[in-house]
Amino acid sequence: MDLIRHLRFFLAVAEERHFGRAAASLGMTQPPLSQGLGRLEQRLGVRLFDRDARGVRITPAGRSLLPRAEELVGSADAFLTDAAAWSVEPVLRVGLAADLEHLVGVLVATRAGLECEVRPVVAGSAELVDEVKGGALDVAVVRHPGVADGVVVGPVHTLATSVAAQQETDLRTTALPVVVPPRRWHPAAHDQLVDSLRRIGHSGRVLEVADTLARQALVAVGHAVGVRPGCGDGEGSAPPLRFRVVQPVPADRQPGLDHERAAAGLEQALAAIGLSA
Amino acid sequence: MTTVADELRAVAADAGVTAWVSAHRIGEPESAVSWQEDVPVPMASLYKLPLALGWAQLVTEGGLDPLAPVLLSPENRSPGLTGVAMLLDEVRISQRDAVRLMLAVSDNACSDLLLRLVGRERLARLLSETGLADVEVRHGSAESLRIIQRETGATDPALAERALASPDVDVTTSEYDAALASAATAAGICRVLDALWRRSGPAYDLVRDAMAHQAWRHRIGSGFPHDDVVVHGKTGTLARLRHEAAVVAFPGEQPVAVTVLTRAARAERHLPRVDAAIGELARIAVGPLRRATETAHPAR
Repeated sequence: MDLIRHLRFFLAVAEERHFGRAAASLGMTQPPLSQGLGRLEQRLGVRLFDRDARGVRITPAGRSLLPRAEELVGSADAFLTDAAAWSVEPVLRVGLAADLEHLVGVLVATRAGLECEVRPVVAGSAELVDEVKGGALDVAVVRHPGVADGVVVGPVHTLATSVAAQQETDLRTTALPVVVPPRRWHPAAHDQLVDSLRRIGHSGRVLEVADTLARQALVAVGHAVGVRPGCGDGEGSAPPLRFRVVQPVPADRQPGLDHERAAAGLEQALAAIGLSA
Repeated sequence: MTTVADELRAVAADAGVTAWVSAHRIGEPESAVSWQEDVPVPMASLYKLPLALGWAQLVTEGGLDPLAPVLLSPENRSPGLTGVAMLLDEVRISQRDAVRLMLAVSDNACSDLLLRLVGRERLARLLSETGLADVEVRHGSAESLRIIQRETGATDPALAERALASPDVDVTTSEYDAALASAATAAGICRVLDALWRRSGPAYDLVRDAMAHQAWRHRIGSGFPHDDVVVHGKTGTLARLRHEAAVVAFPGEQPVAVTVLTRAARAERHLPRVDAAIGELARIAVGPLRRATETAHPAR
């Protein structure tokens, strides 16, 4: 039982001596107030008011307990006021899958639809899901498919991709390896991409490189090609990459943040990337 | 130090699956190696194991005649990819042969026939009396296919299967929900195997023999690629769910019951890596339980 809340019922009825007016003063309707007061009396084993045709009268027990109840409610209010003075503005911690690092600016610029500071973290999707699960991240865009137990997942966004290469490259005929982030960052999504590459006819190696700059460098010097989401050239020669927005289950959410709105903002940004492709 | 649970978790993560694992030596349920073993999971075709247990018990008690012939006509039998379910014409079959096809090739037509003969409520009572209340057979194969078709809006089972395999849409079905589908815990399915192995009589012999003839060795069997190791298994597959329950017998050692239930992150129908991971998970779970037959019974 939320004792403070129920004591507020007690104080309101003691003040107004009328259930309807007491309920109005609390901004609620009469039935839940009556039930709440009944629960409090049952829990205490004490009758606080006598109700009859003539109205509501406080019992001797009620009168005797009233000052202590006022003290408790007053202390609770003072406690909340003091705590609010110590709170800082919430920061939205956004996780972004390693494959989206060149789009960090675009995704964060949406500020996920919230007027608050945004702190982006770029990492492997499996790690991001773990962090969202513990509540260490507020929202994340991760590669799909991937195991996402214990978090709230949004719909799948399938993004067209283009081949990032030093010169124009056909994946079906090139002998160059395709460079991607390490498989362990998102095993199921990696396997799906490799299967798709084989399906369209790429038979070269798949290089796993963790460092973003190293991947870009390999492409820039023409030693490998990359698969970049959201900048499709319409050739359709590179397989799509799939993403999902994940957020913590309600119990794990940082208070003071609108997670649903943050997730919706990222969903929109992802959809826009898909459309511009 | 790496624990068995750490190893199981690492293999599951690498394969991109959620896994539920349980294993114990036959007759020694307290010897268990397990990972999320008490979580109810939709069991797909693994429901055919408790069904076989119920059938064998009824035959042993004289309630069903294993030799009684049944007519399975194409109009009133369940569709499926194997066994009688894939045939074109009328089939006359004995109950015990239906059990063999149900376990060896997961024949849906034979399974639904046997579920009708045993009866859903009678099966629930038998399982509960055996201490298997966490193994719940809510419906058979035909009903499961009907549910998936209805929920995906597909006009035939093959289209429903394709809808669930879409990589671009997270299609779901109540058949993934342990509260609505036939469901069991990994530990519960191991106890079904334990009962099948510890009970004696021709009906139980028949069930065990049928499981030795299972057509597939790509899952738990792949973890034990040894010609002298006998794997009596039963697979269960429903879109992202890939399961197997088996009794693994090394020569001269006590047999070990092992159940590996998985749900893949990927929706595609063919995921050989996941099938192989099921073998790997089984091998990791069975390893610490291996014990020579002699030392197992020091009193003898």
